[in-house]
Amino acid sequence: MIRNQLALAKREFWEHRSIWVTPAAIGIVTILMTATSLGVGSEFKQAVDLALVGASNVGDAERRAFLTAALSGVTLIFTITMWILTIFYCLDSLYAERKDKSILFWRSLPVTDTETVVSKLLVAAVAIPVVTFGAIVVTHLFNLVVTSIWISAEGGSPGHLLWDGGALFDNWVATLIFLLAVPLWLSPFIGWFLFVSAFTKRSPLLVAFLPIIVLPMVERIVFGSTLLADAIFVRTGKMPLFGGVDIEAIFDNERVELTSDMVSLLAVIDVGQFLTSPSLWAGLIVCGLFTTAAVYVRRYRDES
Amino acid sequence: MTELVTAKGVTKRFGSVTAVDNVSFSIEKGKIVGLFGPNGAGKTTLLKAVLGLTECEGELSVLGYDPFRQRKELMQNICFIADVAVLPRWIRVHQLLDFVEAVHPNFSRSRADELLSRTKIMKQSKVRELSKGMVTQLHLSIITAIDAKLLILDEPTLGLDIIFRKDFYANLLADYFDEERTILITTHQVEEIENILTDIMFINEGRLLLDAPMETLSEHYLELMTSGDNAAAARGMQPLFEREVFGKSVMTFEDADRGRLEGLGDLRVPSVADLFVAKVKGATS
Repeated sequence: MIRNQLALAKREFWEHRSIWVTPAAIGIVTILMTATSLGVGSEFKQAVDLALVGASNVGDAERRAFLTAALSGVTLIFTITMWILTIFYCLDSLYAERKDKSILFWRSLPVTDTETVVSKLLVAAVAIPVVTFGAIVVTHLFNLVVTSIWISAEGGSPGHLLWDGGALFDNWVATLIFLLAVPLWLSPFIGWFLFVSAFTKRSPLLVAFLPIIVLPMVERIVFGSTLLADAIFVRTGKMPLFGGVDIEAIFDNERVELTSDMVSLLAVIDVGQFLTSPSLWAGLIVCGLFTTAAVYVRRYRDES
Repeated sequence: MTELVTAKGVTKRFGSVTAVDNVSFSIEKGKIVGLFGPNGAGKTTLLKAVLGLTECEGELSVLGYDPFRQRKELMQNICFIADVAVLPRWIRVHQLLDFVEAVHPNFSRSRADELLSRTKIMKQSKVRELSKGMVTQLHLSIITAIDAKLLILDEPTLGLDIIFRKDFYANLLADYFDEERTILITTHQVEEIENILTDIMFINEGRLLLDAPMETLSEHYLELMTSGDNAAAARGMQPLFEREVFGKSVMTFEDADRGRLEGLGDLRVPSVADLFVAKVKGATS
């Protein structure tokens, strides 16, 4: 079972190279942007310059908050990319093998349909977040190195300003938990996308999103209720784990407000509340139903 | 157990269409069985039932397993190449070998490497970079390296030129087949494989028309080439099928009196292709 799952996961990485190419590309672009911004004396450089001056004159908490905000900005870009990547991966994962007619070859091997579909679910829910996390850490480190070189050249002390082991560890652990929580929270959509990928004969993107957009409208018009809209849009609009933090308020202004609340992300996120939330478990049940349906379709549909 | 496959009253319906209709047969170990039928006869559906890819009515046992419900166990001892079961085009040859090695307990990597070393296939190549013939060679090499008791081939050489087709069957016999292994094969190129078959089955409109060992064909079937009054006399013996060749009548008989036929013209055992046409057209006329 585990041996098969590892082989199936490897297959996904071979087939869907975007799983690791996309985070790598985002990382490279981010690093290049940082290096370029610092090198050409832009507004960004001035802003960082001012921030550094400010950071040099404030306490550890504010310095940590600055570092956390800077690192989280990069994380946010990766998180948005990760979710887009997950959508496209899920929609392609069971559709591509039917499109290129290789499904009968895969089914000629001693691997069950359940094992195959579960492997795709695990790649979407675990492997993609873990790869994204790796790319984030590497990007953070490169950005810190590039910025350190620049600060040294400016006469500052990068060790004092940037290389705060506690803040880095806090940020990375919180990031990993957050990246793993996102697919759990959005698991009904992952299940739905896998199901669409298993059954649709064409245009999986259209088939997946049309009901999500149209059905709540139909419900509103016909029944006057918004149950579906609430279930879909409230879930997608809410960030998991940060139940007690007003994320919008933080990013409401043009400049991110650095507050002492942001010194530790681990202190802010509430894993216990998240894992015991009925909404999370309701979503997981929906994901399980859609995934089971995807297995059923792969098992029973005649592909010839 | 010498019977690897046993089917009793196997039926498969798609809505109002009956693709396989109450088919019963058995296949013993060490046989090479040819399953022939015109397009839409139900042979691919029957093979898919044997492979556990589709559920059917009736009793079907393959290697002692219920193929649909115990497909994973079955697939450890059974292999198939179908024209529609194409290898994924994006994969590299070495990745394909790595994958099969990881999931198949009866796959011998060293055997596959040895078989591939005899070809021009490069391990770093992607399947999309290989010709159709090379893809079939690759697929056959993988299948041959699996210690499977039953190999099912559904139009395995479709679209290949004559050289590749000949090589395919030569390699199949040399590298795969032995008395412990069994092959069930369908193809339209009947003439190319009839000399390697031990048994044949004909299917048409979902029904089994013939299921017999090759060596018994000469006991039951005769083909008579005749003309004139002899032809009229032969028609009186109710041939299965009659056709015209160069102005002469060629009639196929089943369980007819050989002594009587010998006096009516040139007598011979029909080829599998001719017998197939006679049985199919005779059944529908």
